Amino acid sequence: MTFEQIFINLLNGISFGVILFLLASGLTMVYGIMGIVNLAHGALYMVGAYVGWSVAIQHGFSYWMATLTGGIVAGFVGLVMERATLRYLYRQINEQVLVTIGFIYVLTNLTQWIWGPRPRAPFTAGMLSGTIQFWGCSYPIHRLTVILIGIVISIAIWWFQEKTRIGAMIQAGMDDKEMTMGLGINLNRISVILFFICSFVAGFAGVIGAQLLGATLGQGFHILGLALVVVIIGGTGSVGGALIGGLILGIFDSFINALVPQIGMWAMYLIAVIVLLVRPQGIMGGRMK
Amino acid sequence: MLELIDVHTYYGESYVLQGISLAVKKGAINVLLGRNGMGKTTTIHTIIGFSPPRRGKIIFKRTDITGLKSYEIAQMGVGLVPQGRRIFRSLSVERNLTMAARNTSTPNAWSLDRIYSLFPILKHRAGQKGNLLSGGEQQMLTISRALMTNPDLLLMDEPSEGLAPALVVEIERIIKQLKESNLSILLVEQNIPMALGIGDYVYIINNGLIVYDSTPDSLKGNEEVKAMYLGASA
Amino acid sequence: MVATTLESSGRLQKKNIIRFAPILIIGIILFILPSFIPHYLVGLFTLTFIFAIFAMSLDIVLGYTGLLSIMHASFFGIAAYTAAVLMVKMGINSFWVGFPCGILIAGILAAIAGVVLLRVHGIYFLIASLCLGYMVYSITWGWDYLEMYQSKGIMGIDFPGIGIPGFTFTEVSYCRFSFLLFLLCFYLLYRFVNSPFGYSLRGIREDEERMQVLGYNTWFYKFAVFIIGALFAGVAGVLFAYCNTTVEPEHLGFSYSTYAILMVILGGSGTLFGPPIGAALLVFLEFYTGIVSPERWPLILGLILILTIMFSRGGIGLHLQRLWKKVLPS
Repeated sequence: MTFEQIFINLLNGISFGVILFLLASGLTMVYGIMGIVNLAHGALYMVGAYVGWSVAIQHGFSYWMATLTGGIVAGFVGLVMERATLRYLYRQINEQVLVTIGFIYVLTNLTQWIWGPRPRAPFTAGMLSGTIQFWGCSYPIHRLTVILIGIVISIAIWWFQEKTRIGAMIQAGMDDKEMTMGLGINLNRISVILFFICSFVAGFAGVIGAQLLGATLGQGFHILGLALVVVIIGGTGSVGGALIGGLILGIFDSFINALVPQIGMWAMYLIAVIVLLVRPQGIMGGRMK
Repeated sequence: MLELIDVHTYYGESYVLQGISLAVKKGAINVLLGRNGMGKTTTIHTIIGFSPPRRGKIIFKRTDITGLKSYEIAQMGVGLVPQGRRIFRSLSVERNLTMAARNTSTPNAWSLDRIYSLFPILKHRAGQKGNLLSGGEQQMLTISRALMTNPDLLLMDEPSEGLAPALVVEIERIIKQLKESNLSILLVEQNIPMALGIGDYVYIINNGLIVYDSTPDSLKGNEEVKAMYLGASA
Repeated sequence: MVATTLESSGRLQKKNIIRFAPILIIGIILFILPSFIPHYLVGLFTLTFIFAIFAMSLDIVLGYTGLLSIMHASFFGIAAYTAAVLMVKMGINSFWVGFPCGILIAGILAAIAGVVLLRVHGIYFLIASLCLGYMVYSITWGWDYLEMYQSKGIMGIDFPGIGIPGFTFTEVSYCRFSFLLFLLCFYLLYRFVNSPFGYSLRGIREDEERMQVLGYNTWFYKFAVFIIGALFAGVAGVLFAYCNTTVEPEHLGFSYSTYAILMVILGGSGTLFGPPIGAALLVFLEFYTGIVSPERWPLILGLILILTIMFSRGGIGLHLQRLWKKVLPS
């Protein structure tokens, strides 16, 4: 591998890692505060990607409009899921998991009903197509944009958690839900808002990720598997862990596919296995159970 | 201020409170004594709504709060200093306080500055994570956190638990000071001398029932009751 | 003392005969039936028996022990692949080779997976099982050896030889054979869940920490039941390969794991007769949906899963159990 290839694979890995981070952070926050494992999180990503495609390509609106719409639609789909089913399943993890598996099927099939079985090619904004030259390498601008968005969102989440009062309430809720309620904080309402935001981010990530991966029906399953590996690597209830896990997995995936493509499909699950064997609580030592 | 009328609470299948009636007057410190496992903490949890009663009534500020959610009860002006302190470990000391702030516009409200003048040590620790504090500091933090909600009634569950004698004296001084600011307090204690020193009225709970109530002075003289319900140490 | 035990067990047996008479009658009907029903129904019955075994094998893990494993199809599928590879790629078509090999491979996979999965508890267990299931699926999908005619999967599997001269399987006899194996599995699992071991599993489901305090090595119990479940899933997988003619990656993927879970939940988890009922319902429902609108089957599947969890937690098995007790109070 030349230096140039290493550099490009690194950037590819980081941009893919950003997408995984966006998904996994939502999974881990919803789990942390609500104790809900939303396996339909990947399906929300897929819904976002298709909605984004419709807005940007089919109807010719701007790409930024598409990211917003994709996020909002996914957010509301998530909200319906939470209000209709998940809120009745508090503390019943197996039931939550099964219901959200049901939603994977429902959402994937409804998407197929609306958009048909044909996958959609990657799309991006007009201003982001093309490549940029630096240090003798040429690199697509849209991938750099994904990285930039990842940085912005990481800072936004960090700011939200560390600097806002609602962020403090959410962290307190993850530490001790009962005590937080006992201080007069209505965590139920905060949880619903958080669920919406996390679903929004999943749909948003779908449109952002569509720049690299397009939109396919299988995404609901596949991207979920990768996001779960990120959660295993990073530990639950830890956004920092999701960031590190996402980047590790993205970069690993990029290099494996460049070096040993024949094991590229499953090597990332091997990482999950190794982490489980060596350090079951995840790299960031999240809170288990 | 607060009145419990024939309150029955179950914890899972076990019948913990079997008909508790007690009252706290405005500006008074009422003490609930009893041995371990008799239902003291459950009484606190019942009032704040963690373990809602199955039967009976809880009246707070002339409103029936039975069966309300714990955040609704807290919003009405009940502050909680829980057993075991329950500091939010991933938040800094300052954020433990600010996240709880409520009703800050009322006259004479508790603010960060006022808390820090009451507990200067917390100001020094402001940036540290809650779980790095010593036991005494954690206790001050948990009291401060409850005060930040500007409550009318403070529920204190064993604030002296696990503290060195010097710190117990400190906590005692603070409780007296809070009383002077016209706060009503329901104090659950194991430290009987301290409780009798600051209380205005005493209840003794035994096996989920109030078996004795009087002023602290009459309890002090009643060796029989003390031996029977509080153990020899009193 | 001995006399009374004997006497009471005698009475018990008599009662049991009465209690199980309906089952016996249904069993005899099911055994004779394949000869008299249309061709497509024979296939559906065969599938029902196979999936009933598959569902029961998950039930001892999910229903009796409380471990929600989302990789159970891996064991089913790997056994099916083993049987298929032996027959199509290696030309060994004896049932007496394919059957034990399939089960053995499923058991070995479960032992490896169990070591990894049982490092963690609760929510982590199911996330990890999902990831391992994906891994098995992806490996199968990407492995060139397991492709034929440029498509994923192994085709052209036939009924196996069973070593009796002059006897070859027909669809009808294979259906009967599957039924007999189903009965055998039911009996074995019935004995298993009603053994002291089975009661310990229920104890772990209710309160694992307490079982540990009582001196049980709960890790070993969970590990053992995970492998035993995989062995029975392997039985179902091998039977499935022989009658389905093709084996594809889908058969060891997420969707088949979900099928099994849904059969258990729908029928009633933690009861042994519930999952077969769930299996029958799902097999027939899929068939008839396939006639009307095959594209919408996943939608229906998802909705059934959601509605079952929301409104009928105990599954159909629970209602049947109540009815059973009402009709024949013990």
